[in-house]
Amino acid sequence: MRYIFKFPDIGEGLDEGTIAEWYVEKGHKIEAGQPLVKMETDKVVTDIPSPKSGTIAAIYGKVGETIHVGNPLVEIEIEGVEGDAAIAEAAKDFTTEPVEEAAGVVGTLEVAGNAAFLPSGTEGFDQPTTQQTAVKSKALATPVARAMAKEMNIDINSVKASGPGGRVTINDVKRAAESFNETLTKKQVAQPMADSVSFEPITQIRKAIIRNMTISKQSIPHMTVHDEVEVSEMVKIRDKYKQKFAEKQIKLSYLPFIIKAVALSLKKYKYLNSQLDLENDRIVVKNYFNIGIAVDAPDGLVVPVITDADKKSITEIAEELNIISVKARDRQLKLDDMKDGTFTISNYGSIGGMHANPVINHPQAAILGIGRLVKKPVIKNNEIVAGVVQPLSLAVDHRIVDGGEVTRFLNQLIDYLADPVALLFD
Amino acid sequence: MKVMNMVQSINNALEIKMSEDQDVLTYGEDVGVEGGVFRVTEGLQQKFGARRCFDSPLAESAILGTAIGMCVSGLRPVIEIQFCGFMYPAMNQLISHATRFHNRTRGKYRMPMVIRLPYGGGINALELHSESMEAMYGHIPGLKVVIPSTPYDAKGMLISAIESDDLILFMEPKRIYRAIKQEVPEEKFNIPLGKAKILNEGNDVTVIAFGAMIREAQKAVAMAKQAGISVELIDLRSVYPIDKETIAKSVKKTGRIITVAEGPVSFGIGAEITAIVNEYAFLSLEAPPKRVQGFDVIVPLPKGEHHYMISPEKIFYEIERTVKF
Amino acid sequence: MFNEFDPAKDQILRVIDNSGNVINKKYKPDLSTDEIINAYKHMLFVRTADFMAVSYQRQGRMFTYPPNYGQEAIAEAMSLVWEENDWLVPAFRELGAWLAKGATMKDVFMYFMGHEEGTVFRNAKNLLPISVPIGSQLLHAAGIGYSINYKQTGQVVYAIIGDGGTSTGDFHEALNFAAVWNAPVVFIIQNNQFAISVPLKNQTKSVNLAVKSYAYGIPGVKVDGNDLFAMTKAVKEASAHARSGKGPVLIEALTYRKGAHTTSDDPTKYRTKEEEEEWDQTDPLKRLKLYIENNKIWDTSEEEKLIAEFKKEIDRQFTEAENFPATSLEDVFKYMYVDMPDDLKQQMTEYEKFLSWKEARK
Repeated sequence: MRYIFKFPDIGEGLDEGTIAEWYVEKGHKIEAGQPLVKMETDKVVTDIPSPKSGTIAAIYGKVGETIHVGNPLVEIEIEGVEGDAAIAEAAKDFTTEPVEEAAGVVGTLEVAGNAAFLPSGTEGFDQPTTQQTAVKSKALATPVARAMAKEMNIDINSVKASGPGGRVTINDVKRAAESFNETLTKKQVAQPMADSVSFEPITQIRKAIIRNMTISKQSIPHMTVHDEVEVSEMVKIRDKYKQKFAEKQIKLSYLPFIIKAVALSLKKYKYLNSQLDLENDRIVVKNYFNIGIAVDAPDGLVVPVITDADKKSITEIAEELNIISVKARDRQLKLDDMKDGTFTISNYGSIGGMHANPVINHPQAAILGIGRLVKKPVIKNNEIVAGVVQPLSLAVDHRIVDGGEVTRFLNQLIDYLADPVALLFD
Repeated sequence: MKVMNMVQSINNALEIKMSEDQDVLTYGEDVGVEGGVFRVTEGLQQKFGARRCFDSPLAESAILGTAIGMCVSGLRPVIEIQFCGFMYPAMNQLISHATRFHNRTRGKYRMPMVIRLPYGGGINALELHSESMEAMYGHIPGLKVVIPSTPYDAKGMLISAIESDDLILFMEPKRIYRAIKQEVPEEKFNIPLGKAKILNEGNDVTVIAFGAMIREAQKAVAMAKQAGISVELIDLRSVYPIDKETIAKSVKKTGRIITVAEGPVSFGIGAEITAIVNEYAFLSLEAPPKRVQGFDVIVPLPKGEHHYMISPEKIFYEIERTVKF
Repeated sequence: MFNEFDPAKDQILRVIDNSGNVINKKYKPDLSTDEIINAYKHMLFVRTADFMAVSYQRQGRMFTYPPNYGQEAIAEAMSLVWEENDWLVPAFRELGAWLAKGATMKDVFMYFMGHEEGTVFRNAKNLLPISVPIGSQLLHAAGIGYSINYKQTGQVVYAIIGDGGTSTGDFHEALNFAAVWNAPVVFIIQNNQFAISVPLKNQTKSVNLAVKSYAYGIPGVKVDGNDLFAMTKAVKEASAHARSGKGPVLIEALTYRKGAHTTSDDPTKYRTKEEEEEWDQTDPLKRLKLYIENNKIWDTSEEEKLIAEFKKEIDRQFTEAENFPATSLEDVFKYMYVDMPDDLKQQMTEYEKFLSWKEARK
């Protein structure tokens, strides 16, 4: 393939050069990088290296002649390259950026090509105008006040300022938080009269709950589906093994079965085990199943997590549950126990209540509420028999989980709970 | 109007001032016959003669010291110290005399001298050819320090520097000597010294840089724009005096600031800007002011330099983190 | 002169001996009787002022002072030769030369009391301030020399340095640059044998200091600096050489620092009384006085009355210096730049706020 090498701008904004000496002639074999010709320009006398390897097919210009940048200098026959490959080969550059040795001394400098240049400035010619646009009306506040506002989920720019120089103070932020809470609860704060009200401080746990509940209900469109499952099979199995577990000091409740069933169901209906990441325009689907169990602890609601519930056996889950409930009772739960949950179960049924619209544990996608077991007449084989019914209330983030998905999940869960032996197979 | 790179625009500024004012002369190593190792003084000896543009013997302390003598006796020398690292032999004359003469003589003698100093790394050079010690010079009382980032600014600022009766260190970002071409008016114009320039208006975060780092910062601004972040980019242009007003005003608007500078981070430009922002825009801060600067190490030789030099990614990384604070 | 007194052979130019007798008539400069008498009176004034300065310091009324005692002839010789527009680039031990250039004792006292104003030497033309970093001022002289050639003004620069200063890099750079430039600079080394406590033999291995001129291709001469006539002759020849465009000259003026380095120095720690007494024989005022008396050109008994007048004048100037107002806050900032940055102005106003607050607390 024939490659025509044109005289390049060797980096000083030149337009021409004079041929001082040829190092090659027609028929010479040449390697890429080997010098072809010595060119003389106004600034330097320099060798021009060959961009390609091959055989010299033709040289343009005699010694002493002037050649313009962009005009052909040498034709090189590149061996064994034909067709599309030839075109590609011809298109490849020898050097990436034009560089120049600072004459006689140290270093290499990047040189701009001729085509790209910036437009001129205007300073020194026009009347000096105020350069900067007016400052937007943003709050003035110390870092401490800003931190507080952030923690309380308040936009500091909307807080009424009463400090020096129009500054938003810590008290301003607190005041704004209070009135914010007021609008939320739509409650009028009664004028305190002696004995008619008492005041309690808001604990850290309570603060966290307030924060989480608020965020959850404010940002997640909840959709709840209520259903029931007939669990006499599960009751039988549990009764059968209850004693064996008790001998090992493990209290076996229905929860381990439910947890396992939930985990396996989530594997099939992954969107209920995901997280919406709007900032990055994506849904984060989690491939691990950490089921959080809402526990009514002395200080308030806490949600310790059973990690990798899909991988653990019912026995392991039961053990962990025991440990958790003891810890919760003794206020021994650590942050590590409660982090990275992917789905939450709220077993209010253990205390009472049948149906609920549970609040999703933000930023998760779903929460399962379990009501209390009720003995009820049920239809089996077209006959009325005594059954045991567990109510289920499943709330999901309707932005990620559609109606079809949630009911399909629920159906799968119900299948497992109605016939727990199926848990062995999946 | 003519398309020039920075070497040419500085040359142009020198030519204009030497034509206009007979007291202006320039010298240094290789400045005369060869026109400077970077060709900045090319053609000046041919035009004005060896009396006004000449090669001095090799001694930086003497180049600066004799310029002091010229200043007290009515001349306006523009001296070239060939590379940033070679300023050090002249430090005694600079700090013990040049920066003090006006004060010492209560104004009887002035130092209307410009010291031209190519500085900065990223050019695959030997030791001491890549220094970026502008913060150290900014710390010396009696000295003004300015740094252009475009051919246009270099011309206008150098003309102002030569016309100023104060001692001025004119630091030239050699990495971009030839890398930027710009239309520059051929006639004389001044850019007043001591003012920063807003290159790009924005709302989310202020990025302040100078010299060769402006290009890297501009690339980072483009990356930020793609990520939905609006950056206000400021070219500092003057280390001393530093334009507190422009900096503070910008931070009051954006609430966040990142300083980008090649030199070592500790006790450097970023530290000063952070102090300024604390004093003058404290109540507007929404995130701690950050610094994207060199490590506290000697600039590595070429094979290791890529670790040290600041890339647009590094700047964008900090922009993202600051905006998410 | 340069050929006859070759520093490489350690030859020294001397005109009168220690007893004031002319021993080299050929090189005696052409000075009128009046000039000689006035020269003596100037040197006497300088010596008197110098003693009083040391005394004031010991009284606690002035800070550290470097005495000129024993070196008076060198400064006087310069003033006999130079032209009004010539430049003087001082080190710090040439009081007579500063005064001859137009500085006053009041200036000098003010400087050593700690007033910046002192070294401005406001009424002196073409006189640079006292230079603290040793040797560094010679480069300034070379630069001024370049200006003189550039503007073709025909001036000469007198640049002073001590024996210790000849070891600095700046000394060598300055001589080199001045030589390459053919700058009209007369470099004068006041070789008073000591750099604080370090004697000459530890400062250089060269046979003397004038011989260093060879390295730069310029003429050099070693002269008896305590011999007013020889010194004057040397400066005269050197000035002519420089002024005619032939370039710089190096003069080594041999003298002795009869006093201490400064009022905080104790020479007994590093030299003997015997040495001091030996050098005493060469004292410049003593020799010139003997010459004057030998040739009966002035009645030296008038000296006492003269000294009394000098003391009165010197004291008057000292009092003026003492009454000079302390540096104002504004002065601390005002002269940093021709064009003061806003920031610096602000620092001053902020400090003034502090001062008001302080005042209010009283």
